[in-house]
Formats: sequence, C-alpha cells, structure tokens
Amino acid sequence: MKEYSQDISTLIDNELHDDMVIKHILDDTESQKQFSRYQLIGDVMRDESEGLDLRIDITNSVMAVIVNETQDNKIVPVATPEKVESNVVPFMKRFGQYAIAASVAGVVVVSSLMINQNVATDPSVTPVLNTVPFGGAAAPVSLQAKPVQTKSDIKERNEHLEALLKDHQLQLQVQP
Amino acid sequence: MKHRSFLVVLFSVIVFLVSPQLYANQEEATQQIITKQVQPSALTYLKKMQQAYKELNYELLYLNTAQNQIEPKQLIHGVLDGQRIAYFCYLNGGIRESLQFDGKISYYQQGNQAYSLVTNRDHSVFANIANFNFESGNKNYEYLILGKSRIAGKRSIAIRMTSKDMYRYSYIIWLDLGSYLPLRLETINKSNLILEQTMVVSLNVTESINPWIKRMSDQKAPDVLHLPQTTVKDVAPWELTWLPPGFKIIKDDQHKLMLHDTDPISYIMINDGIVSVSVYISTKKSTLTQQQNIIQRGGTLLYTKQQENIEVNVIGEIPLLTAEKIAASIKAAK
Repeated sequence: MKEYSQDISTLIDNELHDDMVIKHILDDTESQKQFSRYQLIGDVMRDESEGLDLRIDITNSVMAVIVNETQDNKIVPVATPEKVESNVVPFMKRFGQYAIAASVAGVVVVSSLMINQNVATDPSVTPVLNTVPFGGAAAPVSLQAKPVQTKSDIKERNEHLEALLKDHQLQLQVQP
Repeated sequence: MKHRSFLVVLFSVIVFLVSPQLYANQEEATQQIITKQVQPSALTYLKKMQQAYKELNYELLYLNTAQNQIEPKQLIHGVLDGQRIAYFCYLNGGIRESLQFDGKISYYQQGNQAYSLVTNRDHSVFANIANFNFESGNKNYEYLILGKSRIAGKRSIAIRMTSKDMYRYSYIIWLDLGSYLPLRLETINKSNLILEQTMVVSLNVTESINPWIKRMSDQKAPDVLHLPQTTVKDVAPWELTWLPPGFKIIKDDQHKLMLHDTDPISYIMINDGIVSVSVYISTKKSTLTQQQNIIQRGGTLLYTKQQENIEVNVIGEIPLLTAEKIAASIKAAK
C-alpha cells in the first residue's frame, strides 16, 4: 500500500495522469481513507476546514499528569514555618545553591592555592603562605614520606574546610 | 667710627626692608592655621560618608581584587519612604544577584530556586565601614587624612584607618568629595601590603530612586529560609580566654554545619564592629599529621590547629598572629 502514498499525493496535486493507478486507488479502501486524510490535512493547513476545530488543547491533560507526578514524588513544600521538621532536607538542598552564591570567596580559597604558592617568594608574606602544603599542590615527596596522608584524607580535609567556610559565610549573613 | 655708623644705617635699612615681609609671612602663617581648623577632620569625613552611603540614591560599578583575581560587581542603592533597597549583582559569569529590602535579603542565581534570609544587617560592599562606629572605634583605630586624589573620575580624599595594635588589619578609605560616597577601600597589613581592594570605577548619584529597583521592591520576596535549631546539648562548650582588644563575643552555640550532615561543632563568633571572626572547635578526626594549616585569600584567613584531642578552626579577616592567639586561648568551659 505504501507505494501509493506518493501517488495519492500527486493525485491531490492534480499531477497524476496514470489511469491504472487512479483505478487502483479508487478500488482500495485504505487508499481512499488515506486520500481523505491528506485532503483534510491540506484543508486544515490552508485554514479551510470550515468549522472543523482541530486545535488541540493538551494543557489540562499535561497538568493532570504533573499533579499526579508531584504527589507520587512526595515533594515537600519548603520553608513553611509551621513544618519546621520537613524543612530541613529542602533547606540543605537549597543551601548548596546558597553557598555557591554567597561564598564564592570561600570556594576560591581552596582552589586558589596554586596562586598563593607563586606569591610565596615574597618575603613579607612567607610566614603565611609557605605553610600551605595541601590540596593538589602538595609536593609528592612529602606525600610519600608520610604514608598516612593519603589522597582521600586530603580530599576529606578539603571538604571539611569547605564546609567550615560555607558555614562561616552563612553565619555572616545571619549574624545578629 | 664713621664706618661703624654706616653699618648701623645699612642694618636698619635692611631691617626696615625685610620686616614687612616677615610680618606678611606671619600673617600668612596664621591664616594657614585658620584654614587648617576649617578643614574637616577625618572623623567628620567618615561620618559624612556613612550618612551618604545610607541616604543617597546611587549606582556603583566596582572591582574587587584579591590575589590576582578581579571580580566586577554592581550595586544599586535607593531609599524609598525611608527604607533602603540594595541590589547587588556579579557582572561576570553566571547571574548571581541579591536584593536586600525590608529586613530580608533574597538571593537569585541562574538555574536555581531563589530564597531569602532574614537579616537586619547591611550586606552591601562598603557596609562594614558604613556601619562602623568610628567614634568609639578610636580606641582601636587612628584616623588620618592622607591627601587628595582622583578615583572614578571624582575628586576624592584618602583617609587611613590605622590599627593601634597588631591584632587587626588597617584600611585606607577614599571618599568622593562631592557626594562623600566611598570610592575605594583597601585592606592592608602591618607591612603596608595591600591584601584586598575594592575600587569603584563608575559612580552615578541620582536625585530619585532607580525606577527598576523601586519596582523590585513591590515584588514578593522568595520564601524565607529558617535555619535549623542551633544549640545542641550534648556537645561540650568551649570558651576563649583571650580576645583581641575591642572584640566581643556575639554568638556562642553548638550546631551542625549547614549542607554537611556532620557531628555538631562548637561555634563562637567574635566581632569588633568591622570584622567578624568564626571559631570552630571540634573533636579531632583528621588523620593528617600536620599540626597547623593556614590558607589565606585576600584578607580572609582560615587557620587550623590540632591540639591534644581537638581541632580548632579560625576564619576571618584577621592577621595570623591573632588567629594563633585565639586558638591558643581555647579552654573547656566550666
């Protein structure tokens, strides 16, 4: 049947002159249905559907699905003072974002160690800056010399410091 | 004899010629003293700056510089029916904005849900110096006019705020001589090294409030986040037996670190009106062998010290010496 789609299309465009094919299309119910569908599509596209309203409003059905899904996932409304307990988890989530917004300085502290060490030759800052053998910047030799100090230890340590910095930033925001 | 009288005459002639000039000089000198008295003191300028910062409608574009990193930012400030509105924005990178109004500060970040925090403290760029009590602060700082300069195309005056001890940093503040708004702020250590700098590159003072932030004030602020309960009973409290002069304890509790579900940690915040310092005391867990750890970015220091079975972390804009002394002074509270 498929090979006739092209022919039906050509027929609609008034460009089909093969009688055999026209006869076949007329005999075949499937082809007739397809012909009428094509015509309908053409009418709608040319806005000649004469009252036949094919505008499809799916908002309601989508909304219905969304509403159901929300309930399925049990999303807890955030920051309602009455529900202090249910607050905690969303707060943690949001705080993650907060921390990025408010403590960019803090995050940079850890990532800017490389820069610090370049400056370390300045005698006036040496006491502060040459004591930062931490993060990826640590010399491998010293790492081997102290086998206790594994990479995961250092990572954990950095995470702890980040957490402290974020908390410091938050405390600054809400200080009395 | 004749020769001598000639000399006398000559001398008197010289005196006669010179004395009016001397007299004039003296007059000039007294006049100078008078103008010096008329020129306002550093404290007067600083107070005018505080007033301007809180009461004017203005827009600042400024750069924050710390350790080779420059961050351009924007501040729009307005006063609406006696209430201040401050809008802040990072100009580079992802959009990060905040709006402080009506006892709340709201944070907006691209791709994330916005939220608010309750606060009565000004968090804008020059807030620390704009809210400092310079009069009572002269116990710890000395104010000195350094001279005139030009910042952001404006005639400005530089005032140095020098720490009287070695436990805090000093600052240099530049003010616009027209509007008295702060134009530049440098944090300097005792060897006069600039640790951090905030410099305005564009200042626009307007008669009326910026219509855009006025409209922002009508919008409903995002939901307020409440911090979880802070004090946890089963963590031993600690106390500081030494505080840098002028510092006061403003917070003392035990809480879990936000975002990280850690064990509760003892927390003390101290403040001298300009800087706030956080002190964290926790039981030692780290297996790292190093006793001390120091990270510094700009003026902010993160000092870690392991002692016996506790770990102390001090974070704030203070010199290393101060952090060391604070950490060493920690004792278990009775």
